[in-house]
Amino acid sequence: MYRSQRLALRYFAAAIALFGVMVAAGLLSATYYVHPTLLFNVFNFNIAKILHIDTLVLWLLMGFLGAVYWFLPGELGREVKGIALAEVMFWILCAAIAVVAAVFIVVQYGGSNESSMWFINQGRKYVEAPRWAALGIVAVMLVFAYNVIATAIEARKMTGVLGVLIADAVPLLALYLDAFPEIKNMSVDLFWWWWLVHLWVEATWEVFIGCIMAWTLMELLGTSRRVVESWLYVEVALVLGTGILGLGHHYFWIGAPTYWLGIGGAFSALEPLPLLGMVVHGVYDAGTHHMQAANRPAFYWTLAEAFGNFLGAGVFGFMMTLPQINLYSHGTQWTVSHGHFAFWGAYGCGVLAVVYLALEKTRAAKGLDSAAWKWSFALLNVGMAGMAGALLAAGMVEAFVGRAIGGSTLNAFLLVQNNSWFVEGMWARLGFGVVFAAGYATLVFDLATIGRRHELEIMPESRAA
Amino acid sequence: MNAGMAEALIFTALLLGAFVLLGGLYGLFYSLGRLRRERRLIAIARVHYALQCVVTAAIMLDTPLTPWWKVFVVLSCAAYFEIPPRTWRYLERLHHPRERHA
Repeated sequence: MYRSQRLALRYFAAAIALFGVMVAAGLLSATYYVHPTLLFNVFNFNIAKILHIDTLVLWLLMGFLGAVYWFLPGELGREVKGIALAEVMFWILCAAIAVVAAVFIVVQYGGSNESSMWFINQGRKYVEAPRWAALGIVAVMLVFAYNVIATAIEARKMTGVLGVLIADAVPLLALYLDAFPEIKNMSVDLFWWWWLVHLWVEATWEVFIGCIMAWTLMELLGTSRRVVESWLYVEVALVLGTGILGLGHHYFWIGAPTYWLGIGGAFSALEPLPLLGMVVHGVYDAGTHHMQAANRPAFYWTLAEAFGNFLGAGVFGFMMTLPQINLYSHGTQWTVSHGHFAFWGAYGCGVLAVVYLALEKTRAAKGLDSAAWKWSFALLNVGMAGMAGALLAAGMVEAFVGRAIGGSTLNAFLLVQNNSWFVEGMWARLGFGVVFAAGYATLVFDLATIGRRHELEIMPESRAA
Repeated sequence: MNAGMAEALIFTALLLGAFVLLGGLYGLFYSLGRLRRERRLIAIARVHYALQCVVTAAIMLDTPLTPWWKVFVVLSCAAYFEIPPRTWRYLERLHHPRERHA
């Protein structure tokens, strides 16, 4: 095994650990909705929410980096250039995440001054990490880009997947710099901030996961390079063609010019179309392999990625993306419902597929089939679908009672909090959150015991022999 | 906004969700039908597409969306019809380029 692949395994372990923190913080956040005074002034909702969302971003990002460090040596037939530096950056990133989490939990917030921004919280939603840590993330991404580009140069080899990945590394890094400016005008600030949040999620990350899934399909199903690369180019063109200007749906209500209503609405309404193509592709690949693959968990998580992406981003997104609907739905639990389902379908399932692929090579050469992965697959997906459904119901009540009829007043907002549909929706979300957490625990058990469980099973036979 | 308009808002959103979901089911059954070479599945796919057309008609006739968005939904509906067969043909050409020449 290459050093790069050992580093990938560390990235996967860290990603799964952060996934756990995300689940725990999510359960706590969900509990606040049914017990609003829980831990009041000790550990408030905003901190749990920051931990929930920031660990979401980080576990997926670490999964992506791990996936590239896993596949890259095989792609280029050599060790990754600058791997020692990458290993150092991994530990620095882990230490930085631990320190930032400790600051969020213990210190929580500071005054409106420079030192708070540098050492406690940058104050920008989804990228709250204090500035020193944000600079650390830039350094990690720079080293990652160097690893990929320098290895390709040294190997004197360029493949289609690698070319797309390298091209994607530039906007991936450049857009993160949007986390830094201090702009006093709130509309202008939000305008650029959405470049980071939206264009990472619906452009650069889509391309990133596209490259990872291309490698996954080659390894998992033995699909030819010509096929996956041709499909990758089409997918990237379609996703970027709709996703970049789909950014406009975030500009509806921030004080941006009104032409964004038409541009944002139209392009984001087109976003389900490439996802439909992915569903067809998923059925094609699954069917031509008769729903069988040596690595069944990776295979099923890959399929879940195609279908989850269509449901979460396509169906749940289209319901609320046209400006007439979005006027009432944005910022409600309706949006939360779409966000949960889309992130899970588009990225979470893909990362888990790669983790299973890596474990097949390292620990379970004789197969991964077990009851544990099936239970975790079912519990995680049922839990997510249930949470998304419950949040959708609660969000529609918020849009209907609080926004459309109540006129978005404080009174209307408070009225909605006691509406039985909303309250029951929040309880249902918590219940399905517990199901999801049970799925996570089963996943961790499965990942921790793959290979070792097999050794235990064959041990009696070995003794008999 | 009065209660009637508020109800129309939720109704429109649900129709839009159903619109995409039916498009997805059409694509799913179409692909399964082509895969297994079963006309019954292709027929089920067409039923889902027909339902998508019914939803499109409901969006046209019974929602407060402005005309531009209604036209947009109709054009999208046409695109949904074409995507599964075109994608399937593209995938077959990719996977079996020689069969095409033969």
